[in-house]
Amino acid sequence: MTRWSVEQVEAIAPSAASMSAARPVAAVSRWRGLGADDRAVWGAFHGSGAEPYDTMVDHAAVGFSCSCPSRRVPCKHALALLLLWIDGQIADGVPPATVAGWLARRGPVVVKPPQDEGADAGAGSGAESDPGAGSTPEPAPERNASVPDDRLAGPDHHDDRPDGDRSRDDRVARMYDGLNELDRWLVDRMRTGLADPALARFETWDALASRLVDARAGSLANRVRRLAGVVGASPDWHELVLDEIGLLHLLSQAGRRLTTLSDPLADRVATTIGWQVRQLDVLANVPDTDDWVVAGRSDTREDRIEVRRFWLRGATSNRWALVLSFAAYRQSLDTSLHVGTVVRADLHRYPGGALRSLVGDRFDGPEPAIAAAPPASSVSAACTEIGSMLAVEPWLDRVPAVVRAAPTRVEGRWVLTDDTGALPLRIDSVGTGQSGRAGQVPSGLEVLLAVSGGRPVDLTIEWTPTGVVPLTIHRVDDAVDIGPRADPSFVGAA
Amino acid sequence: MSANVMSHWEQLVTVALLGTDRRDPPDVPGPVADLVADAVRPSPAERMLAEVAAVTAIRRGGLLPLAPATPLPGPGVDDRPRCPRRASDRWRHLVASWPVLEDEWMITLIACGWRVDPEIAAPMLGRHRRDPVRWGRAVVGVGPLAEWLVEFVPSIALAGGRGGVGTNAEPGIAGPDRDVTLELPDLPIPAELGALLVAPGAEVGKVVGQEIAAGLAAGRFGPAHRIVLVNLLARVPSSGLADIETVLTSGQPGAVDFALAASLLDLVRTRRTMLDELVRPEASDR
Repeated sequence: MTRWSVEQVEAIAPSAASMSAARPVAAVSRWRGLGADDRAVWGAFHGSGAEPYDTMVDHAAVGFSCSCPSRRVPCKHALALLLLWIDGQIADGVPPATVAGWLARRGPVVVKPPQDEGADAGAGSGAESDPGAGSTPEPAPERNASVPDDRLAGPDHHDDRPDGDRSRDDRVARMYDGLNELDRWLVDRMRTGLADPALARFETWDALASRLVDARAGSLANRVRRLAGVVGASPDWHELVLDEIGLLHLLSQAGRRLTTLSDPLADRVATTIGWQVRQLDVLANVPDTDDWVVAGRSDTREDRIEVRRFWLRGATSNRWALVLSFAAYRQSLDTSLHVGTVVRADLHRYPGGALRSLVGDRFDGPEPAIAAAPPASSVSAACTEIGSMLAVEPWLDRVPAVVRAAPTRVEGRWVLTDDTGALPLRIDSVGTGQSGRAGQVPSGLEVLLAVSGGRPVDLTIEWTPTGVVPLTIHRVDDAVDIGPRADPSFVGAA
Repeated sequence: MSANVMSHWEQLVTVALLGTDRRDPPDVPGPVADLVADAVRPSPAERMLAEVAAVTAIRRGGLLPLAPATPLPGPGVDDRPRCPRRASDRWRHLVASWPVLEDEWMITLIACGWRVDPEIAAPMLGRHRRDPVRWGRAVVGVGPLAEWLVEFVPSIALAGGRGGVGTNAEPGIAGPDRDVTLELPDLPIPAELGALLVAPGAEVGKVVGQEIAAGLAAGRFGPAHRIVLVNLLARVPSSGLADIETVLTSGQPGAVDFALAASLLDLVRTRRTMLDELVRPEASDR
């Protein structure tokens, strides 16, 4: 049995980042049932999740299978398994039934291991999850490790993939089709113009959204449906719609080039498009442990679902995290976090180091966050901070920041200002202020004015494309939650 | 972001309105040209879409603040201390559960020399904007901030064209548009129950508590009597609350209408806590 070299493993890795991610996983203590023979190497990786990931690598005919949710092929678990094998840390053994069955479906060995130098990650046999296995070379940007093999292998290809892989590949293929359709639709909008009366009809948008739902791009579908509500809703709606059309195009393009993106960005793009990640898998990720200050909260109605966002900021790391909860009619939103408190906890981020996270184990708190209140920056510095996050992910709808600024009015419009600049406050045209009336005023303005008295205050704000939303006023001795709050007649939202 | 990009965006919006069937996309400026240069986009609509996406990304990443604005002139100075946070939380609780106690909360707050926490100033003024007496009292409690706030948030001004905030509003002093009184309003209490309130100061709590407990145990008091009992307990001298709480706590298990008994006990406890929270620390030290 000829063992591979590390260079060969690097050659089949989707990216350098994948190798970096694989190295910490290549620890024998985190694996069970390791074994290898002259055809394959296998094992079960135990992360912090309930279910281990069953990983197997055909090192003779180059193929990979792993039950993890990663879209990357080979995933970091398969790479780690190879690294352990190369390092002589895996004893020879008899393949268990699952591995034997998998190898049997793959058929006999017909190709050699990849070349050391300049090896093409796609070179290999007709393996089920082998990137580009048996494929005709295509322009790199159009290739994706997860594109189903039967789309690349020609009409004679025999689909012998395990059910899990086939399901994932079908899902990816549908998503690609959906993204293609989205782009064609966007091009048509550019051609006929935003003044096209068809855009005023909800059905025009809903039909596209439904197709995106079918394509498993649910998050994009939500964006499209929200966009339908923007048409005609304000004097500058054309600009807002065009802005979002640009972002949809960016996401569509990025979604079809996932393999050319860095791992974290690819993960974030996939999540933004609607790739579902199980909470168990998120909770299996390495936690981000810190004293998390609950810096702000905002509730928004999206279609028929109320969405609650908690913005958390690490007292040590100064990193932001977003904890979401959802409630349909008569359901309850998450009330376990309280603005102005700090809780020591494990936070598990969604793939790609995204803002979105799940709260894992809580070790301490909640305590009032008087001493740990997030540091406030100037308006100008906040713009830089927000801009740098948007430069990486322009499609972010909301970005948090903490500023020290005063509310004031400029030509009839409310802004937050200091001596470095001003940020417009978002007009909440459908919500209600705390006095319970609807109107064209920024959410929370009345309380912001009363507490600040027109003087600068430390504020957690949420940037949105149409202005910033004040969420929390941090006073010396407490915090005042002024974020938009869900209608209690619709959902439980204490 | 540069004026160049802004200008280009405005051109893109114009063309997007009309559509590329009617008008060609604008010429691409330098940096954007590099981004969208791509021979595989044959149609004007595809080129337009790529430009829109590129300029959108640039505009977002290049977020810049507006020019600094002139701060608002601040409200007048109010030397009174802000009421404790638990007191403003209590006000919210009263509004939701025991509005019958709100007048006493407000009057006690003013009498004790607190000012209303600005956090609840706007909702408080908005809540009473159709009631000149309570609105006027809220103005006194909020202090100079009230006048300032109403100027910017007219929706919390007194309704009916009498929204002006008197500058000479002081406790017990009539303002130009209203009378501010620190007297608790009368509540409807039947004479036979009202007679209990004239018991000697030290006895009033026991007398009222025992009467209510006995009535609850005998089934004389039911849901129909809730309002008058609530009114009675809201107007019992505060010195008697501790005794009433003791009597009701011990008599609660024997009450025929247990829910009513529990509700009345909650009222008494809430009122006691409310008054305790509004005692100034220096006053309680004396």
